[in-house]
Amino acid sequence: MKSRFQTAVITAIIVAGGVFSANAQDASTILKKMDDVMYSPKDMIGNNKIILIDKNGKEETREATVQQKGNDKRMFRFTSPASQAGISVLSLPNDVMYLYLPAFGKERRIATSAKNQNFAGTDFSYDDMESVLFSVKYTPKLVKTEDNVFVLELTPVGGKSDYSKVMVQVNKTDYYPELMEYYDKGNTKVKEAKYTFKKIGNYWNAAEIEMTDLKKNHKTKMQMSDVKYDMGLTDDDFTVRKLKQ
Amino acid sequence: MNRLAESIEKFKWLIIIAVIGLTVFFSYEAKDLHINSDIISSLPDDDPAARLYKEIGTQFGGNDMGMIVLETDDVFKAEVIQHIKQITDSIKYTNGVSTVTSLTNILDIKSSEWGIEIGKLVDEYDLPVEQSQLDSLKNYVFSKEMYRGAVVSEDGTATAIMFTLLPEGDKQAVAKEIKDKIEALDLPETTYFGGLPMMMNDINNLIISDMVWLIPIVFIVIAIILLLSFKSFRGVLLPLLTAGLAVIWTIGLMTVTGYELTIISNIIPVVLLAVGSAYTIHVLNSINHYKLADRKKALIQSLGYIMVPVILAAVTTAIGFVSFVFGAYLTMIKDFGIFTAVGTLIALMLSLFFVPALISGLSMYSKKNVIENKEKQTILTHKILLPLVNFLFKHPKYTLTGWGVLLMLCIGGITLIKTSVNMADYFKKDNPTRVAEDVMQKKFGGSLPVFIVFEGDMQSPEVLKMMISTEDFMKEDPNIQVTQSVADLIEQMNDAMGEGKKIPDDKAKIEQLWFLLDGQEVMPQLVNNDLSKGIIQSKFASVDSKELEVFTAKMNRFIEDNPNEHCKIELTGMPSVYVKLNSSLINSQYNSLLIAIIMVVLIVGLILRSGTKGIFAAIPVVATIIVLFGFMGITGIPLDIATVLVASIALGIGIDYSIHVITGFNKHLITHGDAEKAIEETILLSGKAVIINVISVSAGFLVLLFSQIVPLQNFGILVAISMFGSGIGALTLLPIILILANRKRKIIANNH
Repeated sequence: MKSRFQTAVITAIIVAGGVFSANAQDASTILKKMDDVMYSPKDMIGNNKIILIDKNGKEETREATVQQKGNDKRMFRFTSPASQAGISVLSLPNDVMYLYLPAFGKERRIATSAKNQNFAGTDFSYDDMESVLFSVKYTPKLVKTEDNVFVLELTPVGGKSDYSKVMVQVNKTDYYPELMEYYDKGNTKVKEAKYTFKKIGNYWNAAEIEMTDLKKNHKTKMQMSDVKYDMGLTDDDFTVRKLKQ
Repeated sequence: MNRLAESIEKFKWLIIIAVIGLTVFFSYEAKDLHINSDIISSLPDDDPAARLYKEIGTQFGGNDMGMIVLETDDVFKAEVIQHIKQITDSIKYTNGVSTVTSLTNILDIKSSEWGIEIGKLVDEYDLPVEQSQLDSLKNYVFSKEMYRGAVVSEDGTATAIMFTLLPEGDKQAVAKEIKDKIEALDLPETTYFGGLPMMMNDINNLIISDMVWLIPIVFIVIAIILLLSFKSFRGVLLPLLTAGLAVIWTIGLMTVTGYELTIISNIIPVVLLAVGSAYTIHVLNSINHYKLADRKKALIQSLGYIMVPVILAAVTTAIGFVSFVFGAYLTMIKDFGIFTAVGTLIALMLSLFFVPALISGLSMYSKKNVIENKEKQTILTHKILLPLVNFLFKHPKYTLTGWGVLLMLCIGGITLIKTSVNMADYFKKDNPTRVAEDVMQKKFGGSLPVFIVFEGDMQSPEVLKMMISTEDFMKEDPNIQVTQSVADLIEQMNDAMGEGKKIPDDKAKIEQLWFLLDGQEVMPQLVNNDLSKGIIQSKFASVDSKELEVFTAKMNRFIEDNPNEHCKIELTGMPSVYVKLNSSLINSQYNSLLIAIIMVVLIVGLILRSGTKGIFAAIPVVATIIVLFGFMGITGIPLDIATVLVASIALGIGIDYSIHVITGFNKHLITHGDAEKAIEETILLSGKAVIINVISVSAGFLVLLFSQIVPLQNFGILVAISMFGSGIGALTLLPIILILANRKRKIIANNH
């Protein structure tokens, strides 16, 4: 009798808990699914075009080739404009970065603890560029469900973020993000990223991310082309020696 | 004249309705009047240094820079660091703020043998708490040139939090919000607010407070004086009404034509009330004088008599104001000159047309009889004017010697005159903005921005090297502590690449180092978008005119001595503007005074139909102006944007007293035929009018002593002194000159 009673109570608690946490569960599930869509390929190569647009609409374009393995190894090689051609950036786990400047013929390690600084004149901060899973960096809450998207409110885990929250619209059927809105600690929307995803093979690819700095009225478009997945890249492709080639 | 006076009588209702209509219109418009507290906007566009300064300040955000200083016994304490972060955050999350830089969020670039470390000086999410952490932070801050004396004062007791504002938006409102937010934090450390946005907010408050306080005071003061001299309701009401209407029309006109209220033009109401009421007083006096049975006829006759002298008085005063237009450097002074002149003429028109129309229309004739007036006159005449006449005739030489000695003394005093162009001097000594400026100067090398503009390819090694050598040259001056340019950053980056703290010779290297700098928050403050222009930013620690002059001359010579084909170099900034402002103060003083004297002598000579009389009339006023400058030199009241106006205004108003005396003398000379008798009559009769006018105008201007703005206080005192000077001059110096001139004429006539 006793054990049956216990079982009943435990079951009740679990069920109740399940009911109460159903919402949270949903939000985490959605975010995990989004992470899966964004970070599932083993590796990737492609061409990246960075278009900087200032408040007067003046554009400046840079091009680079990108190689990425997993979430945390990435090599950027700039190919244009001519003055920056050959500049390469290698990002490794634990905030380790190497920079190669061909005019100097040497590389330097760059440690960036200041993650809210913008990356190379774009509107993306080092924080935004970091490929850490969203489900690791943020605690999600499902705010509402619209026709095509789930709207999640992400709160940074731990206090070490410049953002107070990030509002994400996740595509209902394919779970890729469509829009991210970044709020500062004064609860003012400071940045906005619009995503355009395209399916390449088995994976969804962020063909264009348009990041707008709402304060500066400055925009960065990152466009990917010639994307190929699962090319069998190894850790040897992400070394300082490779950086200099 | 009589025909015009008759038309006024005839069309009185039309005049009254027109005045009411225009008043309603202008009051409605005046409510949209804006306050412009941005002194920079008053710098003239036709001066290259000022234009460049405005341009650079806007383009590189330097004019929109605010600074908050936190003062305590030691900045490197856990709770102080915590408070710096609180302030930094509350500024950062204020709409309209572009960037904030403070000890708790400043970027720190370290280079080591293995590479570059880009981080924050302090981790804002893990502020130092332990004494050892605080000590090492202190040592590090003092070891780096870019922090020592810039972010933390040399003595470690003060820290600066700098912010820039977005170019669009209401800067003054943002500055106010920041100030309110920080005051609400109620921190134990002393906080000071500095920089142009903060100063603008303060000036705005001062302008409003001056408007709110001074206008009622001047109204009351003038009302009391009018009541004492006229002892009638009408005598108080009508002068105040016309002057008040002139103020409304002028302000309305300013709004309609798109002008704004500035630190100077906010005294237009005070000036117009003090000056403008006089014309109505003259008209009323004249109407009182002609007491005929037929009131209508009396009005017309008295108007015909008074019209010319009143027009003359107003026109000379207006000339005094308008003379600034040709000499002043700051546009706000030109605007002030134009609109006070316009206001004076409006007051004149109202006195001549509206007052008689109103008196006739509403039958506001004086009920008192003439005898009473004569009774009153005797008190003033017996106590002051009669003894004066006796003294003048007994001891004409004493009077001349007295004036001679005074003038010699004052000419000596003129050599001591100083000029002041420092904006901080506009504020009273205990004004928070003034105190803040003093602290900035003591702890952070001043707040006068200096910019050296380089136009050329900002990535070329030659241009960057030129920037470095210019900075080195600047830093030889004891008043320059810190300089900042993109060349410094390139040197640092080159060092980080392991090639030493210097500009690389290879342009390709510079272009690649640029890759690291792109997107840094500081870049838009140092180079423009297409990299065709860059600046060296610095601050000058002194506001001493001499030192400013020496520095700008030295820098300009350096630029001339280093011509190169790679870039065009130009110096601008507050020191250059102040030097220009300083020399223009003296120039504009000469110009406006010269113009005013010539115009006034011409007009007075023309109306009195005698060139000599024009010159005679000018003598007491010119003597007064010498006394005025002597007084400024001896008491140390400097020539500044407001006091530079006094001489011409004194001339414009003071000449009226001479005109009174000369016309009176002419009239009495014809009736008596004897010059000495004519002088006696003149002093006894015109003396009263002159003395009342001196007192009422001076009292009106002395109200400016209550102003919050120091140059305006000085302006008030100096105008009052000038009024007394020209009044006394007209009643002592001028009669003696007239007597002597007449004796001479007699002697010549007798010889013939």
